[in-house]
Amino acid sequence: MSVTDAERYARQVLHWGEEKQRLIQQSSLLVAGVGGLGATVSQLLVRAGIGSLYLVDDGCLDWPDLNRQTLYGEKDIGRAKLPLARERLNQINAATRVIELPGRIDDAFQPPAKVDGVADCLDNYRSRFALYRTLADGTFFVHGGLHGDNGQVLTLLVGQSQPFDEIFAGARQPLGSVPVTPDSVVIIAGLMVNELFNVLWRTPKLLDRCLVVGLADFSMAFLEV
Amino acid sequence: MLQIQFFSLLRLLLKQNSMDLAWVEGDTVQTVLDRVQKQLATPFLHKLLDDRGTPHAGTIILVNRRNILHLQELQTPVANGDVLAFFPPGAGG
Repeated sequence: MSVTDAERYARQVLHWGEEKQRLIQQSSLLVAGVGGLGATVSQLLVRAGIGSLYLVDDGCLDWPDLNRQTLYGEKDIGRAKLPLARERLNQINAATRVIELPGRIDDAFQPPAKVDGVADCLDNYRSRFALYRTLADGTFFVHGGLHGDNGQVLTLLVGQSQPFDEIFAGARQPLGSVPVTPDSVVIIAGLMVNELFNVLWRTPKLLDRCLVVGLADFSMAFLEV
Repeated sequence: MLQIQFFSLLRLLLKQNSMDLAWVEGDTVQTVLDRVQKQLATPFLHKLLDDRGTPHAGTIILVNRRNILHLQELQTPVANGDVLAFFPPGAGG
């Protein structure tokens, strides 16, 4: 099937215009983690036509993942998420170059030499801190996290912002599983993607400003960091 | 005057986003916390401190955007006009 970009992206270009669409298609992003947040973040980026997407993950799909990890289904149980994610993303939009970076993120992680931003879709602070420490100055880092129906999104510019691990020092990694629902994950992931577009357009709205979302009462608040 | 900000679960627990608190000469995060608790009907210090009164993991405390773990923890001096924020971030993804 052959389709033009004008046709594929017609509805979003009506909203944000051709120049912003061109920037998206010329950009590359690293999505760290293709679990709850990462599955939806990467999917929306690919649907929007992102040029290149680097994916990092070391996990295999398990039953408790299926409530929120929107790229996968029952037949995928037990399989490694990374190749599955690439396969599904390629089915959605073959124009995006998807690059797998298998492995766990620790201080030895080597990020791609040149990306326009990093989406922190990880599920633990140890890996998040390690990821941030590996990034070169000038890299935009969009963090997402959630617990139950509360979550947050924050953008930092490495080398200019306060380091992520300083701001979040003392953040708790609960023993056992973190409660997460399908709706809360997708909402936080959607907000992350909105901000990732802003980053690609060089107009981040959450730079050094954490958006704290509460679904229990539909609240949003800003925490300056 | 000090501005005290509550986020996420703390905001839900206390049913308020923020409060103003009169500054007192010599204030530290610890003395401010004690006075905040006295003014609020809902106990919340147990969310921030363990039985020995030391901060436990879970809620980050910022004074003018700086995490107190990188300052003087609960003994961090607080000046008139400072903003103190209490935020238990979500860890899941």
